Amino acid sequence: MNKKVIVYLLGQVLKIEAALMILPIIMAIIFGEVEGLSFFIVSVLCFVIGFIFTVKKPTNFTFYLKEGCITTALSWILLSIFGSLPFVLNGDIPNFTNALFETVSGFTTTGASILDDVEALSNCSTLWRSFTHWIGGMGVLVFLLAIIPLSGGSNINLMRAESPGPSVGKLVPKIKYTAQLLYIIYFALTVIEVVLLLLGGAPFIDALNTSFGTAGTGGFGIKNDSIGGYNAYIQWVVTIFMILFGVNFNAYYFILLKKWKKTLAMEEIRWYFIIIITSVTIICTQTYTKAAGFFTTLRHSSFQVASIMTTTGFSTVDFDQWNQTAKTVLVMLMFIGACAGSTGGGIKVSRFIITVKTIFKELHSYIHPKSIKKINIDSKPIEHDVLRSTNVYFITFIMMFSLSVFLISFEGKDLTTNFTAIAATINNIGPGLNMVGPTKNFAHFSAFSKYVMMFDMLLGRLELFPMLILFHPSVIKELFFSGKHKKTI
Amino acid sequence: MFGSRNNNIKSGLRIIIIGCGKVGTTLIEQLRNEGHDITIIDKNAALVSDLIGTYDIMGIAGNGASYSVQIEAGIEQTDLLIALTDSDELNLLCCTIAKQVAGCAAIARVRNPEYSAESGYLREKLGLAMIINPELEAANEAARLLYLPTALEVNTFSNGQAEMIKLRLPKNHFMDGKTIADVSKMIPVKFLICAVERDGEVYIPSGDFILHASDAISFSTSKKNEKELLKKIGFPTQQVKNTIIIGGGKAAFYLANQLIPMGIEVKIIEANKARCEELSCLLPKAIIINGDGSDEELLKEEGIIDAQSFVPLTGIDEENIMLTLHVKHISNAKTITKINRITFKDVINYLDLDSVIYPKYITSEAIIAYVRAKQNSKNSNIETLYHLFDFKAEAIEFVVDESCVFTNRQLMDITTKDNLLIAAINRDGDIIIPNGTDTIKTGDSIIVFTKHTGLNDINEILA
Repeated sequence: MNKKVIVYLLGQVLKIEAALMILPIIMAIIFGEVEGLSFFIVSVLCFVIGFIFTVKKPTNFTFYLKEGCITTALSWILLSIFGSLPFVLNGDIPNFTNALFETVSGFTTTGASILDDVEALSNCSTLWRSFTHWIGGMGVLVFLLAIIPLSGGSNINLMRAESPGPSVGKLVPKIKYTAQLLYIIYFALTVIEVVLLLLGGAPFIDALNTSFGTAGTGGFGIKNDSIGGYNAYIQWVVTIFMILFGVNFNAYYFILLKKWKKTLAMEEIRWYFIIIITSVTIICTQTYTKAAGFFTTLRHSSFQVASIMTTTGFSTVDFDQWNQTAKTVLVMLMFIGACAGSTGGGIKVSRFIITVKTIFKELHSYIHPKSIKKINIDSKPIEHDVLRSTNVYFITFIMMFSLSVFLISFEGKDLTTNFTAIAATINNIGPGLNMVGPTKNFAHFSAFSKYVMMFDMLLGRLELFPMLILFHPSVIKELFFSGKHKKTI
Repeated sequence: MFGSRNNNIKSGLRIIIIGCGKVGTTLIEQLRNEGHDITIIDKNAALVSDLIGTYDIMGIAGNGASYSVQIEAGIEQTDLLIALTDSDELNLLCCTIAKQVAGCAAIARVRNPEYSAESGYLREKLGLAMIINPELEAANEAARLLYLPTALEVNTFSNGQAEMIKLRLPKNHFMDGKTIADVSKMIPVKFLICAVERDGEVYIPSGDFILHASDAISFSTSKKNEKELLKKIGFPTQQVKNTIIIGGGKAAFYLANQLIPMGIEVKIIEANKARCEELSCLLPKAIIINGDGSDEELLKEEGIIDAQSFVPLTGIDEENIMLTLHVKHISNAKTITKINRITFKDVINYLDLDSVIYPKYITSEAIIAYVRAKQNSKNSNIETLYHLFDFKAEAIEFVVDESCVFTNRQLMDITTKDNLLIAAINRDGDIIIPNGTDTIKTGDSIIVFTKHTGLNDINEILA
């Protein structure tokens, strides 16, 4: 294993984190907050450590999928640990476990919080909290690829490990430009949202934080009632942008190239919208009351569906109060998640399409046992490897999910709480039902359960295997007991 | 609105490569190193995903001749399409479609001897930028070496008028311990030592550089003077009188076709009976033996011990190498080994195989010369390009046009980059081996030998 490259890349990631912390520092200066000092200290710390890690550029830059996964997993862990330090230092979240939980939740774009009173945070901490969503949404290694020239072609392994979806493609031949394109689209959409929110009368700080939360499909609200207190226009804007950020970013690239047909032909996006419309219809009929009226009902159902399906986790009403059918639909949406190649989490629409088609193929083979049938998506055959990894993904997901529910069950909370708490964290959503409903938070869990959920959040964001590979015996052996038989050239 | 490409002025061309065999993969690697945007198309999906993982490129699994696949690969924005599938016809079809759809430049590989005679016609009628034939190129290179058997490598420039010859100095050679300046004073024929390879390092020597035995030296000279020169420097050279070729593939046919008119007696050993019969029709003057070329007894029977040259051209690299090692052991024949696929170059160098030819590199050199010339906006033309000494050096022939900023100045007044020299000037077919007082004129072509890789404009040779 090429440990030198891993260390080098981790160093670069820390340097980026140091640079990213400048934003909350600026915020602190504008508002004259002493809490900003903690960001300054941690930023310097990150830079120094990052500098030490990168002072010696490795001569051998080859790395394979294994190194890509390990780098990705380790850099997300490092990012979270360093990202949580300012909260501890400035006293906004004095408990380290809680601060780490909040940061992991931020970077993984989960949006599950342990804070009772969000509004009590200093402005710079709030901004950092939302900003972690924005960074985590597109991914910090994709950012690294966009700005740092890495020689060698194998760095697609980094992107593969970090980007969501069953198969990762490029928009343009060079990975650097692909990463740049993704960030340009991401940045442009975010700016548009900020402008639209400002037009709706939101204060600049609110618009910025909310846009970061929406763009990363994160969902940290900056008000105790999340988005509920804003006017209807703002709620609609957020709804639409949540849906937009849950779309496969390839679609935006095709739109930029004016390939409308190709955009419309994307099966995943078609199903994504079909699922949204169906769910909104069901929930509308289930939650309609004369008192609220049609348009309010429509707004609230659309908002909640968009928020849960794209795994954002904002809320405008306490959906925990809804009837069972409406709640069940939401829980189902939690697992489906957004499109592959978006900033959203969950299992992803494309994996469900593949699975449903596999089921039909299986049925077909019962009727015509000798038939040969290839599964097509976007009228292109799906490679056997993708099918296999999709199936394994489902099974692994279910196993990790059940294990996590079991692990936190010792606290004696009810099954709905435990089930939706894990569903909300592993799918990177945020709020669940009952004791973790939209008006509640995760503070009441024990430290152990919080670590389980932090692990689940990372698991969900990095799509299981980059995290799980850290526990493979041979990786542990190579990482900690380095082989001395290697011939050094 | 998306200027991410335009930000980077030195960003490369957009190139589509169809078919990723040996030559395709070599090209991907080399063009990628030169910074081009590459998209590959191959029918083998596993191969495509493998290559995407290894190189920073985009890939599509599918039939490259299909319109929709080409569209998906972005043919409309592509500058160059290179078709390298196994089938000549498919390659031509790929290029034809690309030309119709996007009007981009297209290069096809066409190997079949039946088309090779018409390749000029095909190229013109189909509007192709280039038709490449690695087997033919490999045969040409082998033929050049059989013409000058004492050379390890012969590269030609200016339509064959100028040459760069590589030799290894034996023990007790008169140049051993002499400086370059001394050597050139002693030899009346004009030549210029461009490079010396010693212990795996390549040096571009100045006049006070001292030569040693077992150095490999590369020098430029004109075709007219080469035999005389070789004699003067102690390598009396006559072209070989006979040759034994193992394997009767396309390369063997092309090679025999060139050697027979030169008066060289050709013997081809081929295992497939039907192919032997074909060859005997195509090459009535050659001796065609039906048998296993790796059979020791058969080789002896056919006179390997007294043969003056031996060229294994089977499709299996390992067999070629084994045969060469065997023949070098039992006879003094000049050997030329063709290596198609294997990449363990360090091992191959260590084996001391005499001359080795790599068809895949010959092809990629031609394409890279074309690509560099195309990439250059000012259109100063690159005629020829060779990668020498394991890619440590390049020899490039530039056509000098009006854009050249150092014409009509004495060479001693021009400061070029370090590790770069002008090896020869071609003025209307006359080869000038330059010294400080020579000048370069518009309409010349100059051959530049350099350790800087990636030069694509004549003015880049200046410091």
